[in-house]
Amino acid sequence: MERRSFLKSFGAVAAVCSVGLPQIASADEAKKVVGPNEMSYDNAVAAITGGKPVTPSAKVVVSAPEIAENGAVVPVKVTVESPMTSKDYVKAIHVLASKNSNVRCANIYLTPANGEAYFGTRVKLGGTQDVVAIVEMSDGTFLSAKQNVKVTIGGCG
Amino acid sequence: MKTLIKIKPKEYKVGEVVKIDFMAMHPMETGMRKNKDTGEIIPAQYINEVNFMFNDQLITKMVIWESLSVNPLFSISFKVPGEGTLKVIAKDNKGQSVETTQQITPKG
Repeated sequence: MERRSFLKSFGAVAAVCSVGLPQIASADEAKKVVGPNEMSYDNAVAAITGGKPVTPSAKVVVSAPEIAENGAVVPVKVTVESPMTSKDYVKAIHVLASKNSNVRCANIYLTPANGEAYFGTRVKLGGTQDVVAIVEMSDGTFLSAKQNVKVTIGGCG
Repeated sequence: MKTLIKIKPKEYKVGEVVKIDFMAMHPMETGMRKNKDTGEIIPAQYINEVNFMFNDQLITKMVIWESLSVNPLFSISFKVPGEGTLKVIAKDNKGQSVETTQQITPKG
């Protein structure tokens, strides 16, 4: 019985270590590294909207994997429900990664010639975070949607 | 910079909405990575602008940052208005620029 309980407790300690250590290491790295175009999420959103309100909307769909094993290549697709006529269309799709050093990924300026409001790409994510799409409609309103992506290996190392 | 344009599906008609995939072979350096041998920071080099034109008319303009993956993919929709030339111009922050063209020939 003693041997069994010893093994059990040893196993528990080993499990804590293996889970705990990499997290601490990655948190330290995230603090150290600052990119040349560093921008925080709030500043980036303010730069896009100019202070106008952003409404979360079911018309905007961000599709990205819930768990990404490799943060260096995370496929992201953004679609917006819109007729894409010259009177009512999606002006711009802004893709942001909420916790990257520079949260801005891509600003896509569409025209009615696109037929559908769609943008697909692959992004680098430095850790677990939200991929956010902020969409500017032709009437000047802003809609948004997001998808949380759990990253097991960061993509900025 | 090597590039590739793919139209999906391969056969399409006038008025149909197709997907245009544009891929560029580019390192997309963030400026945050260190050279493992010398310890020096590798300077940022990333595509910062991509423009899609059809018969010299701008369809989609993209402003890009370093957060996109190595050899990035840019995929958009396009409603085929008729025959013509699709031109994609990609530029990076170091002044490199590449122009790729693809003939659009709808069937029927």
